[in-house]
This record gives sequence, C-alpha cells and structure tokens, in this order.
Amino acid sequence: MIYWVRHRTTYTYESEVSYARCVLRLTPPSTAAQTLLENAIAITPEPSDRLQRTGPFGEETLTLVIDKPHKVLVIEAVSWVDVHAAPAPDAAASPAWEPVRAAAFASAALGPDSPAAFLYPTSRTPLSPAITDYARASFPPGRPIVEAAIDLMTRIHAEFVYDGEATTVSTSASEAFKVRRGVCQDFAHIMVAGLRGLGLPAAYVSGYLRTNPPPGRPRLQGSDATHAWVSLWCGEAYGWIGFDPTNAILAQNDHITLATGRDYSDVAPIDGITLSPGEQELKVEVDVIPEEELAAEPNADPRSPGRTARRRITV
Amino acid sequence: MAAEPSPAKRRAENLGSVSARRLSGWLRDYRPYVGVPDELMMPGGGPRDYWLCFLGDFAEYEEGEFDSRFNLATRHIRDTGVSYRIYGEENERSWPINPLPLLLSEAEWAQIATGVEQRATLMEALLRDIYGEASLFGEGDLPAAAITGSTDFVRAMRGVKPPGGRYLQIYAADLGRGPDGRWWVLDDRAQAPSGAGYALENRLVLSRAYPNLYNAMNVQRLAPFFDELRKGLASVAGRSDPRICLLTPGPFSETYFEQAHLARYLGFLLVEGDDLIVRDGRAYVRTVAGLKRADVILRRVDADFIDPLELNSKSRLGVPGLLEAIREGGVAVLNMPGTGVLESKSLLGFLPKLCRRLLGEELKMPNVATWWCGQPSERELVEREINSLAIGPAFNGLGPDGKTSRPRMMADLTSNQRDAFIQRFNDRPGDFVGQEVVRLSTTPVLRDGRLEPAPFVLRVYVASTPNGMRVMPGGFCRTSVHPDVRAISMGEDARTSDVWVIADKPVPRISLLTSADEVKVRRILGNLPSRAADNLFWLGRYLERAEATLRLVRSLCTSLMDSEAAVHSTGETLDRLRQILVAWGAMDEEVVGGRALDAANAALHEREMAGSVIRLVRSARRTAASMRERLSADFWTLLLNLESRLEESAGGVLSEAGILQQVERALQILAALSGLSQENMNRGAGWRFLDMGRRIERGINICQFTRRLADSDATIDDLDLLLDLADSQITYRARYLVGLALVPARDMVMLDPFNTRSLAFQVCEIKAHLADLPSLLDDGMLEQPTRILLPLATEVETEEASRLHAERVLEFEQTLMRLSDAVAERYFLQGANAVPTVKLAALA
Repeated sequence: MIYWVRHRTTYTYESEVSYARCVLRLTPPSTAAQTLLENAIAITPEPSDRLQRTGPFGEETLTLVIDKPHKVLVIEAVSWVDVHAAPAPDAAASPAWEPVRAAAFASAALGPDSPAAFLYPTSRTPLSPAITDYARASFPPGRPIVEAAIDLMTRIHAEFVYDGEATTVSTSASEAFKVRRGVCQDFAHIMVAGLRGLGLPAAYVSGYLRTNPPPGRPRLQGSDATHAWVSLWCGEAYGWIGFDPTNAILAQNDHITLATGRDYSDVAPIDGITLSPGEQELKVEVDVIPEEELAAEPNADPRSPGRTARRRITV
Repeated sequence: MAAEPSPAKRRAENLGSVSARRLSGWLRDYRPYVGVPDELMMPGGGPRDYWLCFLGDFAEYEEGEFDSRFNLATRHIRDTGVSYRIYGEENERSWPINPLPLLLSEAEWAQIATGVEQRATLMEALLRDIYGEASLFGEGDLPAAAITGSTDFVRAMRGVKPPGGRYLQIYAADLGRGPDGRWWVLDDRAQAPSGAGYALENRLVLSRAYPNLYNAMNVQRLAPFFDELRKGLASVAGRSDPRICLLTPGPFSETYFEQAHLARYLGFLLVEGDDLIVRDGRAYVRTVAGLKRADVILRRVDADFIDPLELNSKSRLGVPGLLEAIREGGVAVLNMPGTGVLESKSLLGFLPKLCRRLLGEELKMPNVATWWCGQPSERELVEREINSLAIGPAFNGLGPDGKTSRPRMMADLTSNQRDAFIQRFNDRPGDFVGQEVVRLSTTPVLRDGRLEPAPFVLRVYVASTPNGMRVMPGGFCRTSVHPDVRAISMGEDARTSDVWVIADKPVPRISLLTSADEVKVRRILGNLPSRAADNLFWLGRYLERAEATLRLVRSLCTSLMDSEAAVHSTGETLDRLRQILVAWGAMDEEVVGGRALDAANAALHEREMAGSVIRLVRSARRTAASMRERLSADFWTLLLNLESRLEESAGGVLSEAGILQQVERALQILAALSGLSQENMNRGAGWRFLDMGRRIERGINICQFTRRLADSDATIDDLDLLLDLADSQITYRARYLVGLALVPARDMVMLDPFNTRSLAFQVCEIKAHLADLPSLLDDGMLEQPTRILLPLATEVETEEASRLHAERVLEFEQTLMRLSDAVAERYFLQGANAVPTVKLAALA
C-alpha cells in the first residue's frame, strides 16, 4: 500500500523570534516493512543553514538554523511511503519470553537495531515496580513472547481511558500509569516501561496512521495527528514486532513508522531552541491517504489546510 | 634488617630528648590492624625509613607547634583559596585536611604510575572501539548490553572523530592497597574526574605549614603535571594561543570552588553553559566585545547535560548545538562526551581480557573482582555467593537499597529492602554487579596527639599531553574516620591527605618559566565574558550601596549621641533620614516610629530586609563568590571578614557607641576594598565594570539624598546631614567660611567636578569608562549607553545649582537608572545579543 503523508507544523510566537535552531525527524525510514519513495520538507521562513545527517537511532535528521526574525514558523513534510508489512506472526509459536531476555542481554550488536539498545530505563520510561508488576501479569513463566505482549497490549487498551486532557507531552510513564489515563504517547511509554521492567528490549515508535479507515472498519484513534506505538524484539527468528496499545492491534499496513527510539525524547518530530522571550502556540496537521484515494480526497490538495489537531502533536 | 643502621634511624637516634620521647611514644602506641598492610609499619614490623625520617623531623616541633603551624596554614588557604564555606549555605563539599601526608617511596610510586598509565591507555583504546568500529562487540569480547545501560553511553557521539584523536584528556583511578600489599583499582573516573584541585590545595597547605620538612623530604612537585595538562589541552586546538574554557555546572555544583581554583591556576576561562553559544558549527564565549571563539572546553558538566538540543532537554547547564559543533570540529570538548561510560562497573570483569585484546599485554594493576549479572554464569555465581559479596549498580542506577547508588552487603539491608531487591534482581539481573569486598590498607593520621591507622583510598590522575600520558606524582587521598577497612564503608565524612612521593635524590626546583621565544608579549588581558562583567558591575553597586547605607546609619547614631544640640535629632531631618532607610528597604516601616537605636540596629543587621547592610554585604559576597577566579585573595578575605563581623554582632545588644564602632569598622573595610580595586586591579574591562557599577550607584544615591535634603525648603540640619552623607563636610567648611547655605551645598554634592563624591564627578568617570569599552558597532555610531550618558554629562556640566530643584535632580537620577539598564542590555547576558534560549515547543 502506497501512502501520501503530509505533516504540517505551525508555530506562532507572541513576540518576534530572532534565532532558532531545530532538529527535525520528519523523514520516514526505509525498513523491512516500508519503503520511502519520496520525502520533501519545506520551511518558512527559509533557514540560513540546513544540515542533513543520520541520528543516533538511524533516523534521518535535518538540523536548521533560522536567523531571520520571524513570528510564524511553518514546517511541512510530505512523504510517499510504500508499506508492505509481513503477515501477522504466529503468536502461539513464538519463543518463551525468558530466553528472549537472555538473548537480548547477550547481544553482540551495538547498533541502533540491536535489542541491547532498548533494555534500560530512560527518564520518560523509568523502572517502576508498579508498572513492572502490572506487566508481569501477562508474562507467566514460559509464555510465548508475542502472545504475552498481545495480552499486555490488550489489557492496556481495555483498562486505560483515552483522555487528551489527562496528560501533557512531558508526562512520564509512571505519572500516566497512576491516573490510568492518557493518549498514545502515554500508553506506549507505559507498555515500554513494563516490558523493560521485565528485562525485555522494547522501543518507542513514532509514526502515522491512515486517516480514513478502509470501508467497513472503524476509524482508528490517533489518525489525525502523529501516532505512537511499541516495538518489541521477540528473538532472532521473530525480530521486531509492532504493538499498538492505543488501538489494541499489531502495527501493520495501517502504520507508517517515522522514527524509533528509547522513548519520545529520542524521536520527537521537532526539537528546537529559540531565542525568544514570549509564549508560543503550536498547530499540527497530519493527513495520511492511500494513493488510490488521493484523487477523491479534497483535503489532500497541498494548498488547502489539512485536518487539524490543535491540542498537541502526539495522540 | 640491615646490620648498619639507616641514615633515618641514625637521625632518629640523634633527636633531642623531648622529641625522641615524642617519637618513640608515637611509634609505641601505633597499632596497625592485624592482617591489614600499613604505610608506616613494614609487614615484618618496624617503621619504614622515609616515615621515620618524616616523623623524626615532625617530632622536633614544640608541643602544640605543629598544630598551630597547620591550623594557620589551613586557615590561610581556606580563607583565600579553594573551598571556603560560609554559614553552610553553599552545598560545597568540605574535605578537612589531615596534618600528616601520605608518604610513598619512589619505587612504590613507579609501580602505581605504570599500572595507572596502562589503564588510561586501555581506557582510551576501549573508547576508540566503543565510539568507533565496535569490533569488540561483534567478536564477542564484550556484550553490547554491558555498556548500553550507562546514561553516559552517548550514542550520538558514535563515529565522531575526537579532537586530537583522543577521548580522554584526564583520567583518574581510585586505588586501594589489598591485604597482599598490591595496589588495586577500586573505581575508574573518566567523565570529568574531580579532586585534582583539592590535591593542589592540600599541597599548598602542607608545604606552607612545614616548609623545611617539605623541602628536606625531596617531595616530587605537582606543578609540572598541571603545566603538561595545560599543554595537552592547548595542543588539540586548531590555532596557537587558543582560548581554553573550563565549563562548570555553576556555583551550585558540589565542587564549584575546586573548578574555580583550577581555572585560575591553569589560566582558563571559567564559563557556565549560558556563557557559550554555538554559531556556524563553532562555539563562542559571550564577552563584552561580542562573541569570541572558544577553542577548547575542559568539561566538568556531565555529558547528558551538555546539549539540551540533542541530549537531556531539561538541562539548563549546557549549550544548545554543542554536539553539532563537536561533530563539525568547531570546538574541542574534553573529556569527550561519552567517556563516562567507562565508569560502569559492568565493564570491570572484562578488562583483563580486553587489555590482552587491545594492548596485547596483561593488566598490570588488577581491579576488584567483579561479576556483571547480565551474563548467566556470573549471575549464578553472584546468587550463590550473595551474602559474602558487595552488590552494587552496574551502571548509574540505584543500588540494592533502592535509594542510593552505593554498593551494599545483603546483611546491611532491612528485610523489606532485601525483598524488593531480590525482585529487582530477578527481573533485571543486568542492572547489578557483585564485587569482592575489598579491605583497604591504612596510613597514620594524627588524632588527639597520637598516631592512629586510618583506612584510605588514593585517587591518581593521568593526563594526555603532547608527550604522551603523564601521571600526577601525588594525588587525592581520602582517609576514613571509621576503623572499618572495607572499602564500601568509606563514608561521606572522610578526610583528605596530601600525597608525598618521596624521591631518592633531591628534587630539582623546577622553574615553570617557558623559554622566552615561545611567549608573545601581550598587554590585553583577554576579553571579559559577559557574565563576569555583569557580576563585577553588581559587585560595585552592592558595595557602594552598603557604604551609603552605613553612612546613613552612622548619621542616625551620631545624631543620638551629639551632646551639643542634637542637631539632626530634631524632628524633620531625622525623619527624612529614616525615610531614606525605609525607601531603600534597609528597615521596616514599623521600626521608624520606635527608638532610633533600634532603627540603626535594624538597618545594619536585619536579615529579613533586602536593603540592610548585612544583606547587601552578603549579596556582594555571593556575587564575588561566583567569579572568585577574578578577584585577588586580599579582596576576597576582606569581604569575608566584613560579612563575618556583621554576622557576629547581629545577635548581640548594642549601644549607640557599639553600633557606631561597628559602622566605622565596616566603612574602613569598604575603604580598603575600594583602595584595593583602585590600586591592585588591572585596568582591563573588569575593573571598568566594577568601577562603573560603583559610580552609577553613587550617582543615584547622591541624587536621592539631594532631592530629600536640598530642595528649596531645606533646613540647616538637612544640609549638614547631606554634607555628612556626601563625605564633604571638611571641603565645604574650608571653602565656605560663612556657614551652611543651600546653593553652595547643592553645587558641592551635585555639580562640582572636583569633588570625588559629586554627581558631576561620577558622570565624568563613567564617561571615561564607556569610551574605553569595546564597541560592537562597526558603522561608527554610538552605542546606547553612551547615547544616554553624553546628554547627561552636558546637562550636569552646564546646570546651575540655584535651579537644581528636586524634580530636576530626579531627572538626573532616572537617566542614571536608564543608563544602568542600557549597560546591562548591551554588555550582559540578558542583553539583546544574548536573549535567553527558550525551548521551541512543549514538544520534548
């Protein structure tokens, strides 16, 4: 399935910004499950400096410097991505979770795809006995790892309330776990923290969901903004598998990966520093449309505004 | 034992009878622990020669003399130097110094130095692999998870070429001597090792306390090591005469004063994150002359905090974009961010194998036997031996107690802690290591006039230099106050000793003079960082305001004591005086109605009032403390002296005469301070900012006094007080024999350019300062402060005293305030050139 993705972010500042330095992670990678066909990032005002390189987790980053005074900054990334996920894994036949843990700790690879990179806590996914105990209920001794992870994902979906007001972009897994509420970012953080608490290698993935569901299926939560889910390493044979606790489904052909890291901080689509004394307002618009529906989609016209998520960037 | 008595022994035998008795008493009562090696006593019994030699000389000091020598030296160094703490308000760690050094023979030292140097070489090679090819992992020598658990494994630095091809500028190892007499490595310090500054301080104290002893003992000097360290840093810069900065987390850091001391000693610029900015792939220091290249940064900020853009976004200590500048080669940051990964205990067990693999040789100095539980067989071993091992965190996480990172014995945990630990261990064994419990050797310390053995740990430093690795001949030694020789019990209340490496032959007095052709003669002191300018300016303002407040208090007191007609105490003048004190926040409105004595006391000592003398002096001292590397020792000592005097008298009940005496003394100290800054401070931009702060404050104060005391309704008493406050009585009386009159008095305090206390004089001085400061504008236009000042100067010059009503004076006063803001805006960090950085969005 080939998707057209438009991701537009608009910052409006109270007072003039004289200097800004940002790091953008707005280029989806080509992986086994998807191929990036095209990616273009437009920035207004024009940056004085653009530097492209590969970030620590293999993500393409674009570093910008804008030294022109401005009150509005618009960053628009348009990508064409071919998604071709493998069929759903045979959960019951997957290896027991304990040997997977041992294999991860013994891993000989230091690179960003190595399970060893995702074994330890971070500031947003600290080790929390409460979250670990919660996860443990899905991981009795010897249970196949994919089955156990699906169970944990399903429980988070069932027992946590989707609530855009309960948490903020800087909420940690422990805080969200306490209130049993949150959005995709929180659910992904909680699941990551629980899996890591048991010693399993879990990554945080940011990405997109298709905007309109195929006929006859419900619209997915989080489809109008950037989305987040979890990727768990399930042993050499099964590799990395995506689990979406917000929708209780495996990440497959509706999910487009943007970046993978240990937690949100590693993958934030836009990170930056400005020289500015005042407040700022943020607007994020995301459209994800299959190629064949593009002609019929009025919002896909690059000149017309897309769907809007005013609150925040991640859902 | 040799048949022939050694020279040391002969010397000991030739001591005077009192000294000999003292020495034999020390030795007789000295009881090393059984089975624990001791530095003084040899394994077979009997003292080592160099110790005997040292103690023999030491015993020749009169009873109490070494105490007084040592205490004097300690106080001197503490007052002027590294780590003076005041009233416990800074969280600076204090390290009380032992009067006895740790003595090590040259042969012993050679062994230590070789071992530590090899280890530093190994660490460097390990870093090169971790951040480069990572071949060790692929080939199974090291599991990746043994390093990915460290928050100091900075993945963003992989593949980045380090400056000068090396990651470590300075490395340190904590050593202990095991029961077999061998030295063991207890810990590696690779992030930004602290303590070298304290080692310098300890050396200063001891060489000052016992100069003869120090010179007679052939102690190896520390200075050449620091010189090589400096050269090592300079050599990685891309140009000659590089600007080297020491990046500190700031005054709230535990070791801030050590950092300030090192910066001053090494001649580096002490900077905080805010002082630096990255532009076009290079790092710059914000100075009063604009942005200046920072070529080399000696890092004392932990890696995770140095770049909020790419690493910990909550950090306020870093420089956004610094990693980018490192990648671009636009700045050399040492130790490279990421070196802290070497401090992970998980690595220890792998080192013997890695040493063979990377260096092709055996590890010369062993480290404590350590098992990382991320491996199945090691985990089993630790589980089996769990009660006899110390369990600690493998990385930067929490230890078994769940609260601190300290290694613990299972037996020392509460049962709840133990249960929680076992669950954590079963879930994530890779977070922990088991370590053999190390027993430390002992060295003698003096306690109540007796020698006692104390367990110790020795930190040894290695620096990379253009001539290879160099080991500091000495170190930072900590002794435990508890008799427990297990290394893990080294508590927070340790003391520290100087470390003397005793050469067999006399040590040449090394001259640090560089040969003449290497040094270019310069007269500019370098560019003043904006932060330092800011601090100096405010130091000047605080000191001047304190002086003015003291004069007010003095007038208040004398008015009470004047037996004549109590000139000022009559009604209005006294009220005006009190109003000024209230307006300045020196005292509460409630005190005004009460006794004048209470008012004076409050204005002097009330800690709750921001404008009281005691608070102003404290503000001055705090401001000075954050740039101590720029102030002379005398200046600092006087300032501390002033504060402690005020603190001492704050609690007591004082009479008018008592307060007056206190005020007079304080004024004398302030006069000495201003004398020091006039006569002993280099006339660089720093002095100009200090003096400008003082002048602006004085100008504002004189305007305030004049508005209140010399308006058209002024009385004789008012004018008398005004001349007092302006310190102009004598001049006035000499010039005008007719007595007090409004217009001449006004002229003298406001417009007279010859009176050093007048507004006209201050304006004139400020003008000279501004003219001398660097301009950022290259179009020949005037900078904003000068635009404000020049019209004021003309107005003051052409004004007539008869027209100088309160409103007019207020205009002058407001202009000075605008001038102060303009100076801040132009030269300091909050200026337009350096708007504080704001995170782009609540995105991360």
